[in-house]
Parts: sequence; C-alpha cells; structure tokens
Amino acid sequence: MSGVNRTVNAMHPNETAINDFVDGTSDALERTSVEQHLATCVACRQLVDDLREIKRATGALESREPPPRVWGRIERAITLERDADVARRLRADGASASLAGAGTTQEPAEAGRLQPSASDNVKKGPYPFSSESSWRKRGTTLSWLAAAAAIVLATLVGLRFMPGRHEAGTPSTVAQTGSVRDAAQAIESELRLAEAHYEKAIKGLEQIANTDQGALDPRTAATLQKNLAVIDQAISESRAAVRSQPTSEPAQQSLVENFKTKIGLLQDTVALINEMRKGNEAGAARIVSGLKQKGN
Amino acid sequence: MAAAGDLIARCQAGDVEAFEALYRQHAARLYTLACRMAGSPEDGEDLLQEIFLQAHRKLGSFKGDSAIGTWLYRLALNHCLDYVRSRQAKMNRLTETLDADTSFEPTARRDTPIARLDLERAIERLPEGCREAFVLHDVEGFDHKEVGKLLGIAEGTSKSQVFKARMKLRSFLRGST
Repeated sequence: MSGVNRTVNAMHPNETAINDFVDGTSDALERTSVEQHLATCVACRQLVDDLREIKRATGALESREPPPRVWGRIERAITLERDADVARRLRADGASASLAGAGTTQEPAEAGRLQPSASDNVKKGPYPFSSESSWRKRGTTLSWLAAAAAIVLATLVGLRFMPGRHEAGTPSTVAQTGSVRDAAQAIESELRLAEAHYEKAIKGLEQIANTDQGALDPRTAATLQKNLAVIDQAISESRAAVRSQPTSEPAQQSLVENFKTKIGLLQDTVALINEMRKGNEAGAARIVSGLKQKGN
Repeated sequence: MAAAGDLIARCQAGDVEAFEALYRQHAARLYTLACRMAGSPEDGEDLLQEIFLQAHRKLGSFKGDSAIGTWLYRLALNHCLDYVRSRQAKMNRLTETLDADTSFEPTARRDTPIARLDLERAIERLPEGCREAFVLHDVEGFDHKEVGKLLGIAEGTSKSQVFKARMKLRSFLRGST
C-alpha cells in the first residue's frame, strides 16, 4: 500500500496525516510522504510550522491563579453547609424533644424548604467533621445561621434557573398544551419563582452585611454602597424589561445576571467583614483587590 | 509524603485551615483546567468553587489509594466533563463542520512566538466540542483514545476536533498579529 495514496489527496496531505506528522505519530511511510510533499509545497510547510508553534506554545502554557474571592466563597459555603447540617440535627433533636413537651429550639424554617436541587447538594447525614459536643455547644446561635445557610446555599449550589431553557422544549410543550400563552405563563411563573429566591438570598446577605458593616472603614463601605446602588438600578431596569417582554431571553438573562452580580458583591462584603474581624489584613486586601477588579 | 498525609488527616477532621492549605496547593491547576474546559474565567471560578465544595464533602471517603492531587484532578475533570456535557446537551452543537478558516491557504508567515495571553484568549474562543478535545489532548496530555472515552466520542472524531481546534487557533492567532 502506498503511503502517498493513503495519506495524500490530490494536492495536499489530509488533516489526519498533517496532525499525525505534527504530533510525531506518523509511521515511517507516512512521514516520508509528508516530508516529500513539504519540500515542494510552501503552504503546507507554513501550516506545519504554525501548528508546531501552536503545539509548542500550548505545551508551555502555565497555570492561572484563581481570584482570591474564590477561596472566601468556598470557606463561607463550607461553614454554612456545616451549620445547616448542625441545625438540621438540632431540629431533629428538637422534634424528639417536643414529643416530650420540651421542644424549645427555634425552627430554622428555610433549612427545610430548600429547592430539591439545593437540598440534594446538602449533605443529609451527620456531618463527619464535627463532633457531637461541639455542635451541641453552638446550638443557641444556630437558628439564624441556619436560615442564612439555607438561603445562601440555595444560591450557591441549588438555584439553576436557566433563562430560555424552555426554548428547546417549546414546540412540544406548545403542542401538548395547545397554547403559546401557556408556555409564556410557565416561563413567567418560573422566573417569578427564581426572582423570589434571589431576593430572599439577597435579603439574607444584606441582613448579615448591614448588621456588621461597622467593621468596614467608611471609604470601603461607601464604595460598596455605591456599587450596590448601581446594581440595584440595573436590576430595576432589567426587571422592567422582563415585565414588558416576559418571554424575552436577553431580558430574563440580564435580570438573572444582575441578581447574581448583587449576590456576588454581598458575598464579597460579608467575606471582607469576616476578614476584618479576624484581623486578617492580607485576606481583606485580597478581597478588596477583587472588588476593585470587578468595579473596573 | 507524611506531611501530605497529615494535611489530609486534618482536613478529614474538619480543620478548615488545613483545607485552605490543600486548596492553595491545587487550586491553580484545577482552576486552569476549569477555565479552559468551560471557555471562560467566570465559569472557571464557579466550577472551581463547586469542585472544592464537592472535594470537601467527599474527603471523608479518600483512602489514600492515589495521591491527593490525582484524586482532586479526577474529581475536577469529572465535574468539568459533566458541565460540558450538560451545556452541550443544551446547545446541541457538539459537531460543527470545518469552515473556511480551517483551510490551509498560503498566508503571511508568523515569525514571532505566540504570546501566552493571545493563546489563552484564542483557546477561550474555540467552539464547544473542539475546545474540550483540544484541551484534553494538547494541554492535558490525554491520547485520542482517552479523549474519545472522556468525551463520549470516537477516537477519529477526537482527532478531527483537535485538528479543527488547531486550525481555528491558527486563524485566530494570525488575526491577532
């Protein structure tokens, strides 16, 4: 079998032959035939040189450092997840105690009302990293933390409202219901539900941020307030756009993105407050730097 | 090795500082993988957060059969692949035909080495499907057979997608000079 017939079309080597040649995985026959072609074809020679340069540059790519805010978010999520789990245990204990007429633990209402996707992501069994005694000791402060945990967890891992996701299913949905209006109403209703969850998450975070905002220096606090005002304005505008065009995917997308931005900023604010309280200047500086990058 | 074992034990005991140390050791590599697979730093951030939250939940089951870095990498790769699959299912555009800019017409020669930033941006611009195959093959070093298994495509399709990605990159990078 001729290598030329196998690897070369009428004019140039085919993509497999070029790829294998660049990767150095051609067999001897193929390599010779490509080399012979390259000796006379400027275009293919340039192609091979370019692909080799891309391969070299790709091999030399370095790792990228994630923005500092990512660890802050992970740390908060871990804490909230743990506290939600502890609260769940307490609630279970409270339920047992109430059977005996002694159920005094405040119900962490939201923890039990996560969306299915959120609760699926929250560990259901006993928290493996926490001892029995430690969670019992912390029980008294956990009711509000559990509520916040539920709210924020819903945002962090559960809420997956995807504007336009009805698009692919729209024809069959419409066929099934026989009405475009029904589909539009379904989208609108789902958006309203997502909006309510985002607002709940925002409210919870605002409560935490407002309570402790004294920990921030006045300039940083003013900058954060200014940024929040800008986002609020954007939320108002995109909400108005959704109200006037409920099925518009860009309008829905914009509203959801603005909610996410606000939640992100509030999460950063809470993280910053935590770092300031811990006296971790380096951690606080990393978050402020992230906030500045976002503001630019 | 003993230090790594100690760190894992502390993580498994619920020490968040130890988990932060583990994060600091491995985040850059996994973030880079996530950004390149997802095609954007924003999505990469979200993926990294989810990867480490999942790692935190699952660390209790880590038995030390492999290095912690390998364990985290597998977890991260699976997470990225799930993300890619769900997005591809939504977008339904895994395969795209080779278009005009992948043909190899004689062009002005590129005499300068490719800048790292240009290449990173160009990789982000690659179409879904070929970007993942390219990242897994050319960046992460999997062979086409492995790429095929990971992405659920034929080995030949992996080759074709990687070629397509390289041609697209060539086209993008030629435009950036």
